[in-house]
Amino acid sequence: MENSEPIIRIENVTKRFGHLKAVDNVSLTIKTGEKVVIIGPSGSGKSTLLRTINRLEEITSGRILVDGMDIMDRATDINRVRMEVGMVFQNFNLFPHKTALQNLTMAPVKLKKIPRQEAEKNALRLLKKVNIAEKADVYPTQLSGGQQQRVAIARALAMNPKIMLFDEPTSALDPEMIGEVLDVMKTLALEGMTMIVVTHEMGFAREVADRVIFMDHGAVVEEGTPEHFFKNPTHDRTKLFLSQIL
Amino acid sequence: MTQEKIIIDVGDGAAIPSKKDMGLFSAWRISFCGAIVLLIYLVISRPDPYLKIVKFLPDGIIVTFQVTFFSIGLALIIGLITGLGRISRNRIANAIASTYIEVIRGIPLLVQLFYIYYALGRFVRVPDMVAAVIAMSVCYGAYMGEVFRAGIESIDKGQTEAARSLGFNRTQTMFYVILPQAWRTILPPVGNEFIALLKDTSLVSILAVADLLRRGREFAAESFAYFETYTIIALIYLLITLLLSKLVSIMEDRLNYYGKF
Repeated sequence: MENSEPIIRIENVTKRFGHLKAVDNVSLTIKTGEKVVIIGPSGSGKSTLLRTINRLEEITSGRILVDGMDIMDRATDINRVRMEVGMVFQNFNLFPHKTALQNLTMAPVKLKKIPRQEAEKNALRLLKKVNIAEKADVYPTQLSGGQQQRVAIARALAMNPKIMLFDEPTSALDPEMIGEVLDVMKTLALEGMTMIVVTHEMGFAREVADRVIFMDHGAVVEEGTPEHFFKNPTHDRTKLFLSQIL
Repeated sequence: MTQEKIIIDVGDGAAIPSKKDMGLFSAWRISFCGAIVLLIYLVISRPDPYLKIVKFLPDGIIVTFQVTFFSIGLALIIGLITGLGRISRNRIANAIASTYIEVIRGIPLLVQLFYIYYALGRFVRVPDMVAAVIAMSVCYGAYMGEVFRAGIESIDKGQTEAARSLGFNRTQTMFYVILPQAWRTILPPVGNEFIALLKDTSLVSILAVADLLRRGREFAAESFAYFETYTIIALIYLLITLLLSKLVSIMEDRLNYYGKF
């Protein structure tokens, strides 16, 4: 680990939807440059937990610090925090009325007041990085799912974030397109990006993760290195889950 | 990303010709050609009242269009504000917008016209035309507000989340991401409202505004040719409405053709 400073602190976080505790008293610290993969059955609260980090879900209790900023503090400008935290969604959520390139330039130009030319140059560089530069002037509907997701990753990167959140980035993809998206994510990991990934791709977890976290019923059941996690899981629930999906 | 095409049905407006009945004998063609043929036949066969009537009316047509255009412009602005108010998390804004819609929809347009005309008249002296435009837009703004609300709510929540996660605030998200997309859902019903509004402008003839209908009434009062005058008036309204509905349906096709998103 190049740097051991914690960049995200999640302290005793609970998120309720009515009676349901989607996230139940979870505490986690994530260090700069760390790659954390969160796995668990559906409904285990892993996506909700991820979404609390940039406050797409407001937590019911607890505290979350992102890069030193308390995101629930009234004095914190949440939009500033979000500029540092890129997010990639299961359904891509590209802006359909903008071309791929415009999807990338919109936020930097409007929010960071970066000159259009410079933003476009940077956008093209990022599109090249996700291997889709030739589609710069194409609208999202004309792209395949895998291509859309790669553009979506590039869009998040265009804001030059310190942290990237991935919410089941390959779950909505046809199987033959999963690889191209995972490859982009692996490259990103190699470059030292801090990444939190909610996924069902165990191969990716094994290969890329510094730490794997298993959640069930809103709580962290087990965490550890992929080595420990896949070879010697300690909890029965983890064992059961792994036996079902591997 | 698949986005279902959502059609907002606001009823009331003129029937916009659908692709299906575009044959040679479509209702639109029959009405349009019939109206033109009848108009020409009447003018040629009995120029005495009919040609005179037709010559007397253009001023009124212009006024009708003026009232329509200014009203629709103002109604769009009121509609946008009302629509945003309706979806606002601010309780007060929400209550104001909802109450406005509720009140306006519960009062007949003709009564509103009288009311706003005379209510305005108590405080300020404004030209009749201005009073008419204000009354029409206040009324139609309420309907437009519902169209805007529905259009905005038709956009996938993921769009808002994506924009917010990039750091856009609520207002920026609305204007950069949501409204540009909602526009295509909003436009067809707005076209419908536009046509409905044009027809309803005939009501302002009550308020000393010299629109098409009022010009007709003036002519009829002098010549006693009531039947002939109102025949022509009806034909002209019909032609204008049919032309506009055609325009709206062409516009709709364009929208569907270009950004298929």
